[in-house]
Amino acid sequence: MAEQVEVGVAGKSSLNCTDGDVVTDVLKDDTPGVSGEVMLVNTDSFEECNHDLDTQFSGGEEISGPDSPIRKVQREQDGSNELAVGISNVSLNHEEEEKTESEETVLDANEEEEDEESTDEEYLKSSEWILKEKHVFILSESGKPIYTRHGKEDRLVTLFGVMQALVSFVADNDDVIRCIVAGNHKFVFLVKSPLILVAVSHTVASVPQLIMQLTYVHNQIVSVLTASALTRMFEKRRNYDFRHLLGGTERLLDHLLNLLDSHPSFLLGAIQCLPLNCSVRDTITNTIIQYCSKIKNLVFGLIICQNQLISLVRMKKFLLHPADLHLLFNLVNATESLKTSENWMPICLPKFDPNGYLYGHVSYLADDCEACLLLLTVDKEQFFTLSEAKQKIVDRLRRHHCLEGINVAIRSSAYTVRAVGAPELRHFLYKSKTTAQFTCPEFTPPYHTDEEQKRLYGMYQLIHHRVHSASRPLKMVYMVMDTETLVGWVTKEFELYAALEPLVTKSNAIVFVNKLLRWIKNEENKLFILNSPTF
Amino acid sequence: MASRKKILLKVIILGDSGVGKTSLMNQFVNKKFSNQYKATIGADFLTKEVMVDDRLVTMQIWDTAGQERFQSLGVAFYRGADCCVLCYDVTSPNSFKSLDSWRDEFLIQASPRDPDHFPFVVLGNKIDLENRAVSTKRAQQWCHSKNEVPYFETSAKEAINVELAFQTIARNALAQESEVDIGHEFPDQIKLSNDNKAKQDACSC
Repeated sequence: MAEQVEVGVAGKSSLNCTDGDVVTDVLKDDTPGVSGEVMLVNTDSFEECNHDLDTQFSGGEEISGPDSPIRKVQREQDGSNELAVGISNVSLNHEEEEKTESEETVLDANEEEEDEESTDEEYLKSSEWILKEKHVFILSESGKPIYTRHGKEDRLVTLFGVMQALVSFVADNDDVIRCIVAGNHKFVFLVKSPLILVAVSHTVASVPQLIMQLTYVHNQIVSVLTASALTRMFEKRRNYDFRHLLGGTERLLDHLLNLLDSHPSFLLGAIQCLPLNCSVRDTITNTIIQYCSKIKNLVFGLIICQNQLISLVRMKKFLLHPADLHLLFNLVNATESLKTSENWMPICLPKFDPNGYLYGHVSYLADDCEACLLLLTVDKEQFFTLSEAKQKIVDRLRRHHCLEGINVAIRSSAYTVRAVGAPELRHFLYKSKTTAQFTCPEFTPPYHTDEEQKRLYGMYQLIHHRVHSASRPLKMVYMVMDTETLVGWVTKEFELYAALEPLVTKSNAIVFVNKLLRWIKNEENKLFILNSPTF
Repeated sequence: MASRKKILLKVIILGDSGVGKTSLMNQFVNKKFSNQYKATIGADFLTKEVMVDDRLVTMQIWDTAGQERFQSLGVAFYRGADCCVLCYDVTSPNSFKSLDSWRDEFLIQASPRDPDHFPFVVLGNKIDLENRAVSTKRAQQWCHSKNEVPYFETSAKEAINVELAFQTIARNALAQESEVDIGHEFPDQIKLSNDNKAKQDACSC
């Protein structure tokens, strides 16, 4: 690290750099991706993380009573209170179950071949296991193993025992253990009764970033079981083995943890839109509205593909939280069997309502289109209504050539940094804070290898941590490293992280960054969804 | 799926200092005995895999310090135990009298949902010694009064009854562990689907 310029909180939000290079001020109206219309909860990922830390001390968020959003929707739409026990997974989930089961069998068989006789002691001696960059463990407050990212949790009981003892020991002083730092290793704890989540990492990720990742993992579990069910089971039986309830969830957790280490959406607390021509997107959105606006109890209707949002329509009163949307992405990506059938599944969105299920009609648009439609309702009897709506939506999209439009966009919408026309700019992440959306180019050399992409992601984590540091938040950070020059810049409207050539001059860096902002501004209607359609 | 996973049983050994808690655990897990006395500081645990009726379970046995000043693991630690083993020394009437307070203390700290049916096991240790001071009958009466707690007379030194006692501990804990899966209805206003319940039942067999 040869040089580093930091602009503290007092710094202006325009790029006037320390050595007096005066650059064009960025006018507020020019800020790309700003919109008064909001469809996603805009959130600072780190504010949230701090909030989570605070609630650890007050014993977690209160379980919301009669005012939970789901009940609100029901009260308003239903009038009546009948909420009978019902069948929610209509037949079609069956296939999925079978499939997961057979997949697991295969997996298990493989692992057993490898080390049938090995005990947990041997695991702890295996250097391959120990040297994994990041471990994530989940256990119940009473020390019952639930999940481990690497290896098998039932072979790690000794380790889980130690983790529980540590948590219990610190809790005895009315305190909560947060992290232990030993050399390059960070041991990060997230205690969210009745679960304990632990990350052991020797990556560059900072402690708050790891806590944020654990929060996502916790959200994933809540999404499967709901927070109230977790609490209730645990109250009933403190020694409960949650694996009974979470069977099959490993797939979602594994998938989520892989993404957490590489996908900027989690770091930024934002989502990415599939770049699409306005007219195509509008047609899609209007089609959803046309066939869904009359359906009572429907809260969200959205089309996604490959971790990108194509369209989102919402019930007027409710916003979707990016963290909930990430869980939906994860669910769709991690569940191959969704491709082959129409599905009806209970999904809890923890930010929307941690204590109840929404019911999701989840299906791919067509065999010849990779996009997936999700219709989320609070009414568990609505499968057939939504199934019908889906068919109409697809028919109309086909008539208007939107399926082709989506396919073309999937194949060709990714752009490279060259489009910006700033020669020494290598890569960037741009988050529009008001809309909770971000955009970034495809990786190009020198970031064309997995290794380099990982390293770059680590760099982004590093500057992200610097600008969000709780003790000393920065508006801007400029770091000249051996391998690249990094710029991090945070204003009220956006967050920008950019990697430039290591030998770029400071004035050129500023020119390029401003050029980049102008370019994003020009493309904003394609890159972002700036309106917020409702039913 | 869950049925193929090994179940973890958390067992906590309590009793006055010097009654042989550590020795019992060592005899059971490592088949070793030492005459030398070393006070346990804080707590220690060993794990051992045992077969209970064709099911492989992992017993995690937590050996705690008998001296009060060493009880440092915290309240939360006792919660979620599957079984509690109360130990006394048959040559020491005081250690037998303490059983009541150990049991009470455990119930307060662990606060199991159904204290009357929580699986305890009582071990009267050191029966290899000549100077016995607590009669079998007296101990049995105590166990009888506490809702038929199983009672074993053991010698960690001579490995008498140790295996049998821990087998019983594992079996009782397992019986209690697996009975949960019956009624877990989700009183959420919006309920879990029937499908999901079927899934759980399939797992817990």
